[in-house]
Amino acid sequence: MDLVETLLGIAPGSPLAELRGQRAGIRQHTEGAWRELVLPAEPGGVSLAERAALALRVARLGGHDGLAAHIRTLPVPAEALAAAEDPVRAEGRLGLLLRYADLVAEAPERCGQAEIDALGAAGLSPQDIVAVTQLIAFIPFQIRLLAGLRALQEEAAA
Amino acid sequence: MSRFTMDEVAWHPRIPPVAAEQATPAQLAALEACPPAQRRSTYFLTLANDPGSLGERGALFNSVMYAPRGLPRAERELATAVVSLVNGCIYCTSVHARRFAELTREPAAMQALLDEGIGTALPPRRRAIVDFAAKLTATPGAITGADLAPLRAAGLEDLEVLDLIHAIAMFANANRLMQSLGASVAP
Repeated sequence: MDLVETLLGIAPGSPLAELRGQRAGIRQHTEGAWRELVLPAEPGGVSLAERAALALRVARLGGHDGLAAHIRTLPVPAEALAAAEDPVRAEGRLGLLLRYADLVAEAPERCGQAEIDALGAAGLSPQDIVAVTQLIAFIPFQIRLLAGLRALQEEAAA
Repeated sequence: MSRFTMDEVAWHPRIPPVAAEQATPAQLAALEACPPAQRRSTYFLTLANDPGSLGERGALFNSVMYAPRGLPRAERELATAVVSLVNGCIYCTSVHARRFAELTREPAAMQALLDEGIGTALPPRRRAIVDFAAKLTATPGAITGADLAPLRAAGLEDLEVLDLIHAIAMFANANRLMQSLGASVAP
């Protein structure tokens, strides 16, 4: 089962699983993007702990308890996840990344050159900046996908 | 006068895009998965700085917007234009408003949406799509099965509803990428 099926309890062979099967490419790349962003085999300049912390922060901002709970089970250091629960107090590079996550998730129209330059000044390469922005922006996609699929489940159960 | 337009809007990246002639094999392979017409756009060349995330996400985007059957292309463009309006992404709104106008040959209908906002008068099927797109975008936690009833009443079948959900969700992502990694520059 993929992450969406796990979080929503979509059983193999169920009508919703069959419906998603008609969009197999979307199902495959939804899972692929999640793994590529949060659990990459080669994390490069953004550590797995930083990735999990960013994902957790945006899931919490989006109010998705199920996704947040899943992220808390990822095998990364507890300090990184604790920082995501309270980014105002998080310091250094992780604090900067978490505040960037708040901006991109909640008010991306307020992002400016200064915010991007601050990431560069903290040592992030252009590749790292794209990676963290892709990750942060992927969680709002997941949250709306999960909400929409849950509505389909509720409709079927009604 | 609304700040949204169907005219060509420029986008200026806040980090250097990859130079196409200097792209690595991994970057070229990731760009190949993106919509053909946009592979050499400044936006995709900016995302190509991180080929791993561009490859999967580009393929996802492609499937959401262009998968055959299901929700008609024009209605995917309508939904993504509305999401972009709600999120305030001037660039994405312009692109998808223009595609809707081209596919439907109804530029006046889209212009009314841009000028008057999502409350503008719409035929029932478009009304249902626009309302669902706006609500799933702004308050995903408040969506329930009952929110699908207007879509069903307007005739949307299961695959069309799924496609609509995918399109709306995709632009929660696309708008944020576009707004944070660069700036829309109005004509």
